[in-house]
This record gives sequence, C-alpha cells and structure tokens, in this order.
Amino acid sequence: MTWSSVETIKENIHTEEFWVNMGPQHPSTHGVLYLEVKLSGETVVDLITHIGYLHRGIEKIAENRTYTQFIPFTDRLDYIAAMGNNLGYVLAVEKLMKMEVSDRAKYIRVIIAELQRVASHLVGITTFAQDLGAFATPLFYGFREREKIVELFDDICGNRLTYNYMRIGGLQFDLPKGADEKIKNIIKYMRPKIDDLESLFSSNAIFTARTKGVGALSKEKAVNYSVTGPNLRASGVKWDLRRDEPYLCYDKFDFDIPTGVNGDSWDRYKVRIEEMRQSLRIVEQAIGGLPEGDPTIKVGRIIKPEAGESYMRTEAPRGELGFYIVSDGSAYPYRMKIRSPSFSNLAVLSELAKGIKVADVVCVLGSLDIVMGDIDR
Amino acid sequence: MIKYFINIVAGAISLMKGLFVTFKNLFSKAVTVQYPTQKLQMTERYRGLVDLRIEKCIKCYMCVKICPTACLALAHKETAEKKKEFVYFKYNMELCCFCGLCDQVCPTQAIYLNQIYEIAVYGRDKLRDIDLLNTEKYGEWAHPTVK
Repeated sequence: MTWSSVETIKENIHTEEFWVNMGPQHPSTHGVLYLEVKLSGETVVDLITHIGYLHRGIEKIAENRTYTQFIPFTDRLDYIAAMGNNLGYVLAVEKLMKMEVSDRAKYIRVIIAELQRVASHLVGITTFAQDLGAFATPLFYGFREREKIVELFDDICGNRLTYNYMRIGGLQFDLPKGADEKIKNIIKYMRPKIDDLESLFSSNAIFTARTKGVGALSKEKAVNYSVTGPNLRASGVKWDLRRDEPYLCYDKFDFDIPTGVNGDSWDRYKVRIEEMRQSLRIVEQAIGGLPEGDPTIKVGRIIKPEAGESYMRTEAPRGELGFYIVSDGSAYPYRMKIRSPSFSNLAVLSELAKGIKVADVVCVLGSLDIVMGDIDR
Repeated sequence: MIKYFINIVAGAISLMKGLFVTFKNLFSKAVTVQYPTQKLQMTERYRGLVDLRIEKCIKCYMCVKICPTACLALAHKETAEKKKEFVYFKYNMELCCFCGLCDQVCPTQAIYLNQIYEIAVYGRDKLRDIDLLNTEKYGEWAHPTVK
C-alpha cells in the first residue's frame, strides 16, 4: 500500500466522539460509582460522575435517632476509617453541649485517630497500586500491616470495622491492659514496613511512569473545588486542621505537614506515605505522655443539648470532615448535615480527566482515594 | 535509541529492587490461619450475638430504648405479688448492627454480647424472632470457648 492510498483511506474514514459507560459495577471505582466518559479515540474529552448508588439517607436517619444512637451510623459513612467519623461526630455534639472531656480521653482519641489514618492510607495506597496493575502483592502487604492496627482496635472496642468506640463525653472503654505496649510495638513494626512499601512502589518503573505527571491538580483549582486532605496538600497547599485549627490536644505534639509540588498522582501517593510516618510520630509522642485518669463517660444516659447549632470540622484521613448539627432542645437532632471529604475530592475528577487517556482515569480516581459510603451517605 | 535501552536497564533494576522486598517476605512468618481447622480466639470485648442472663434482668427497657435499629422487643406483666414477669423478649438478628449499646446501658449487666462469630445460616427465618428467654437459642451455632 502506498503512502498516498493511506492518506485517502484516512480522509474517507468517518470518526466521531462517543460516550462510554464506566461502572456502576467496575473494579476500580472502589464501590458503586458510575462514570460517563466521552472519548475521542482513547483521549477523554468529557467526564460526568453519577453518584447516589449507595445512598442510605443517613442525614435523615439522624433526625429520628437520639444523639448516642447515631454513633453506630457514623461508622458506616467512611467505612475504611470509621474512627475518624466517630471522632468528628462526638466532637460536634460536645461542641454543641460546650463540654470538655478528660485529658486521658483526648490523648486516647488522638492515638486512635492517628492509627486509623495509617490503616486508611495503607488501604488507599495499595488499592491504588492494584488499580495500576500491581496485582495482589502490595495489596496483601498493605492489608497485613493494617491487620495489626485492626487487631488492636478489636482488642480495644470489640469490633474490626464498625467500631462505635467514641462516646459523647468520653470513650466507651479505657484502653485494655497491655495496650500501650501493643501500640509501641505497632510503631516499631510499622516504620520499616512503610519503608518497604515505599521502596516497592517508588523504585518501580511502571508505577513511576504511570503516576508522574498524570492528573496534575493546580493549587488554585484544588482550593476552588474545596479539595481537602492529602489531595490538597499534594497540590502544595500547607493546610492541615490539626495544625491550623487544633482540636483535642494536637497543639501539644510536634509533627510536620508533608506537601507535594505538582499535585499529580505521584505527589498524592508520596504525601500519603509521608503522612503515615508523621502519624506514627504523633502516636509515639501521645503514648509517651499518656495521662492517668478515667476516659469513660460522665454524662447521663439521655442527652439533651440546648437549642442551638454547631459545626465541627476535623482532619479525617481523607480530608476535612464536618458535622453540622441543629438542636431544638429535644433528645433528637433537628437537622444534621455531613460535609464529607470524598464528595469534594471526587468533584474535581471531571476536571482532571479532561485530556488524559482513558486508562489514566483509573489512575487519577485511585490516587484521589475516595470511599463511596462517604460520598453517598 | 539509547534512551530505549536505558529504559530497559532501569526497568530491570527497578524489578530487582521490588523482588528484593518480596524476597525478604518469603522468609517471614505466615500471618494467616487455616480457617476451618484452625480458629482464632475472639477478644474479651468482642461483640457477637446478643445474649441474656435471664435472672439478672429487671425489665427496665433501657436496651429496647437505646437500640438504634429496634431489634429488641420486650413485654412484661405484673403478677399479684407485684413482681415483674416476662411475656416475651425477642431479638431480631437481621436488624442488629452489633453496636453494643444495649450492653453498655444495661444497669444490671443482664444483656450482653457473646463470643459467637460464625453466624451464617441457611434460612433467614432463623435470624428473626430469636427468643432470648430460651437458654438453648444458640444451640445450633458453634460456641467458641470463652476465656
């Protein structure tokens, strides 16, 4: 075939953009997420996200449950990091009731929340690698490491995934006997494992080629889309509620806030790895200075906050988690709104996906680390 | 062309680095257990199925009121000697979310969550209307030894 005949064939072939459905059941969407992707060849021209497949009406359920009864429901929001949700909710109710918890409760809450962050990031990073084709090996390593933390939580509160541990005014239980030793052992165990995991990914040529420069999110765009958490910090914005708006006793601890430069998938992965190290640093300091006392509840069984409203935001593993509660003075919240981090983080996907290849949509989605239970509520 | 070969060498080196990490794990201890033959001991605070120490219950309805999914149903009557007697105390495991709030509010530690964790059954009717007053209610389920 001569060159000129190829040219004529090219001229005669009719091509146009077309829509492809990705999901709702798709292994890389981390739940039930439906993406409509408009393609020109293999390049993404437009992307529309459809959410709501996991909607359970949790905000409405809250209006028919007492303040304590709603705690188990918060476990089901971001089920990878249930302790973070527990904490955000109880802090919001405590703010509404203008209540202070004991120092020991504060320290234990910090320890638990930071260990949960490590566990959550381990899942986030390794499932991200699996989306890129690193089948099973890093995923199993990550889950093996996470198992240590999950087992500790099982010891502390009696369950592995839906903890229901935090209480309004304190905690359900004090740490069991020997838990401090276990936590110290976890820190000792986790540090080399994180290094291993990092060398497994960072040195890998395929992983580097598929993440570097893919889905770069600029500083301005990240702020405009109200992206929070590691995704925002990867774009170079040094914003962390633990430092900028300290709650519990985070102001007593010394830790760094890792930031990225380009805001691409690589930076998002790097920030998460570094955040795990910083979390272990916080846990180490907290377990060293754990005060004596009673962290369990001091309030009555029926909680009736005064009429009013409160908004409390915390730095959950996936970003800024906010609970807005309106009380009319009764035992039930009048209205509750949950500001979930994954929702805003997912919103930026359609912006990031434009112009990249369809295979990289999976990469960007994985690096954003979303949980559908958090988005649909 | 040179870049092409450099890429191949770099890829091979990265592969070796990755293999080194997996090789280290080859000699570490296995973390899994052979499930049906080997079983884990549940922790002391483990939240299994709801169970009742019948003689301790004072029929205060705290557990029924606190349950977020309304899976407990209790009724009582008063005898001529002004004593409270059970009419029924039912537990719907289908609705239960194993949150343990009933355990926490019980003033006499009558209601508690036991250590049973193998709760798969062949019919849904076995999960509904479990009679907590029947001491043999969990006879079919495997009872792990409690510490």
